[in-house]
Amino acid sequence: MKVTVELYGATKDLSKNNFLEFDLKKNSSIKDIKIQILNLIEKSFEGNQNLKKLIEGSAFCSDKDEIISENYKINENQKIGIIPPIGGG
Amino acid sequence: MLHAKIIDTSKEKIDILKAEEFLSSSNFGALIYFVGTVRDLNENKKVTGITYDSRDSMVIKSFEEIYKDSEIKLNIKDKAVFIEHVKGYVSIKEKSIIIGVGCKHRNEAYNLSRFIIEEIKKRTPIWKKEHYTNEESEWLKGVSIQL
Repeated sequence: MKVTVELYGATKDLSKNNFLEFDLKKNSSIKDIKIQILNLIEKSFEGNQNLKKLIEGSAFCSDKDEIISENYKINENQKIGIIPPIGGG
Repeated sequence: MLHAKIIDTSKEKIDILKAEEFLSSSNFGALIYFVGTVRDLNENKKVTGITYDSRDSMVIKSFEEIYKDSEIKLNIKDKAVFIEHVKGYVSIKEKSIIIGVGCKHRNEAYNLSRFIIEEIKKRTPIWKKEHYTNEESEWLKGVSIQL
């Protein structure tokens, strides 16, 4: 199933498109998306440690703007947002 | 009574007059305005400006939640709150956020204003990319949002 991850803040450095797309197995969770992103960093960003730390410190949100846990099951075509550490004001 | 908005700097300017107009309609006696601006120096680097990024719908949701939480945590029921935060590029000395609060008494107003900015720092999904005179721009480290 296709899942879109919308990028914000420093995670925008992962793609020029401001989003990432993954093809995941049914019943995949946020934990699986995290693994996919870490694999992408390994392959395309020479395993950049700062980017890896950024993902480890990030939360994820549903299309209803709710922060979701690592065990949250993703639906087909769902848009997930990645919320790296914040700092407004 | 709450006014919450994100100002896209490519389309409009953030303006304290709007906060004054909003609060003047509330008839509260104690009014506090907090204005955040972009400072020119950060960690010994000369800053030229900041680009703000945000997840807009979640930002507005968090402003609404902070407004509601202030009733429970500070026990302030009667209040008027104006919150606007920018998105996009802002030069040094320009405004990034305006928080205006109106309450019956000054103690409540000071507490509420402080509460709102501290909660925004902890829970509102906004990010800053700082631009410098002679160095590469960088995203600032922030605070992880907890579930």
